[in-house]
Amino acid sequence: MDPARSRARGALPRPCNVLVLLNPRAGTGKALQQFQRFVQPLLADAEVSFKLMVTERQNHARELVQAEELGRWDALVIMSGDGLIHEVVNGLMDRPDWETAIQKPLCSLPGGSGNALAASVNHYAGYEQVTNEDLLTNCTLLLCRRLLEPMNLLSLHAASGIRLFSVLSLAWGMVADVDVESERYRCLGEKRFTVGTFFRLVNLRTYRGQLAYLPIGSAVSSKTPTSPVLLQGGPVDSYLVPLEEPVPSHWTVVPEQDFVLVLALLHTHMSSKMFTAPMGRCAAGVMHLFYVRAGVSRTMLLRLFLAMENGKHMECDCPYLVYVPVVAFRLECEGRGVFSVDGELLITEAVQGQVQPDYLWMVSSGREPSTTESQQEPPSQKPS
Amino acid sequence: MGGSGSRLSKELLAEYQDLTFLTKQEIVQAHRRFSELLPRDKQNVEDSLRERVSFEDILSIPELKANPFKERICKVFSTAPSRDSLSFEDFLDLLSVFSDTATPDIKSHYAFRIFDFDDDGTLDREDLCRLVNCLTGEGEDTQLSASEMKQLIDNILEESDIDRDGTINLSEFQHVISRSPDFVSSFKIVL
Repeated sequence: MDPARSRARGALPRPCNVLVLLNPRAGTGKALQQFQRFVQPLLADAEVSFKLMVTERQNHARELVQAEELGRWDALVIMSGDGLIHEVVNGLMDRPDWETAIQKPLCSLPGGSGNALAASVNHYAGYEQVTNEDLLTNCTLLLCRRLLEPMNLLSLHAASGIRLFSVLSLAWGMVADVDVESERYRCLGEKRFTVGTFFRLVNLRTYRGQLAYLPIGSAVSSKTPTSPVLLQGGPVDSYLVPLEEPVPSHWTVVPEQDFVLVLALLHTHMSSKMFTAPMGRCAAGVMHLFYVRAGVSRTMLLRLFLAMENGKHMECDCPYLVYVPVVAFRLECEGRGVFSVDGELLITEAVQGQVQPDYLWMVSSGREPSTTESQQEPPSQKPS
Repeated sequence: MGGSGSRLSKELLAEYQDLTFLTKQEIVQAHRRFSELLPRDKQNVEDSLRERVSFEDILSIPELKANPFKERICKVFSTAPSRDSLSFEDFLDLLSVFSDTATPDIKSHYAFRIFDFDDDGTLDREDLCRLVNCLTGEGEDTQLSASEMKQLIDNILEESDIDRDGTINLSEFQHVISRSPDFVSSFKIVL
């Protein structure tokens, strides 16, 4: 990615024409009504014309985006939960013209139960933490203002050659689990403290695995990029070595092997009511890595989740909770691991990834990030 | 010397199979484990079907001991007038509701009764507070602070209390439980 471009901003034209992908079944099933009631009038006033496409099933959006004539649209607006944005981004990266396709501006309007991206963009804009219709209105106003900002993208490789991209998070452990007995796979879809999480705490268990990461400042490209020539394309992840090999020696390997959860997070929020990364917005090429080691009590976990609503959980001084900003990571589990990537299920024994800096454009406030992290040098990708 | 032996009759087994979600093996196993808790001279079939085991002894069973709601569970299934002991049939009823095959509807129905600490037919803030304390433990340093508890109960009510009357009734409870996949596995006891 051209460094001169990495801190640049952009804007949608006026008037502009957008494709709206909406999942009518998302969240409480009111997305379509909310679009018609709250979003449409604002778009009309702001000279944003649109075509509405309603998704009918899982992967429908992904297929639509893969086949779509992208030149017709100034932006793709996604009104649903984070899962739909995940589908759209992976659909764009699946195209033969992925390198330009991924530059198509995206906009996230909250419509589902997990609206982390919308909540994070709301936070970057300096707005108060809000939910539901207030969050929807804020995000729609941002779309009407048309300013764009580049966002990081997490490039992932899992065992058996699985390749995918994450716009928000990868979670393992308590946050994503499988009911082995009933053979139903599910993730904690509603990412706020709910009755469901309460019962998850009743069944609290630990997960065995090995976690390693590349902290900021230690970044040096490996000699053999993990993805030499891909039929599929996608960026070269030069910090990563093949999964079959041990991580490079300058990586940090976490000595403990029993965890309650591991979370790689690209933004500040996990939902409109979970301010997970109060340390603020990540610099280009960096992501948040949290993990909770085994040994933490149910009470402490409850306390952390409650405090997370206002971003106060880091002040709980919980010795089991560890935070580190990183540019790449690898997580290998004992047996079949259940991961939640942007809220979507991934089952694999091992996964690794690195952050591709400022890889996609999103409707945002166009403000400069104001955290200390933004002063840090983005990791330099030295040629091999 | 235990004249009628220690085995349940075929007819009784069939009857219990009809009345519960348990398999024949599960019933036999339950009878064995229950009898072990009785005094030596009461371990024959006849007595085992008449005697009651105190909560203290029932809760010594490891599979029950591990459950954070164990005391309320015993109370709900006890048919003793003073509700402080379980008969074998009470024990079977308990295992039936907590079995693999019991429907989520049955489980949630009993869960509601188990969580209703004051037995008044709804879950109010006080019930929810006691429920959370089951999970966090007895010690002062393991319990949530008053403001944390309030925040947690506010969140639970926001999600569950559809008619906004400040309490959770059975149907509101069953509705919110049906959306949480972990409920079933936290309501499972298999010997």
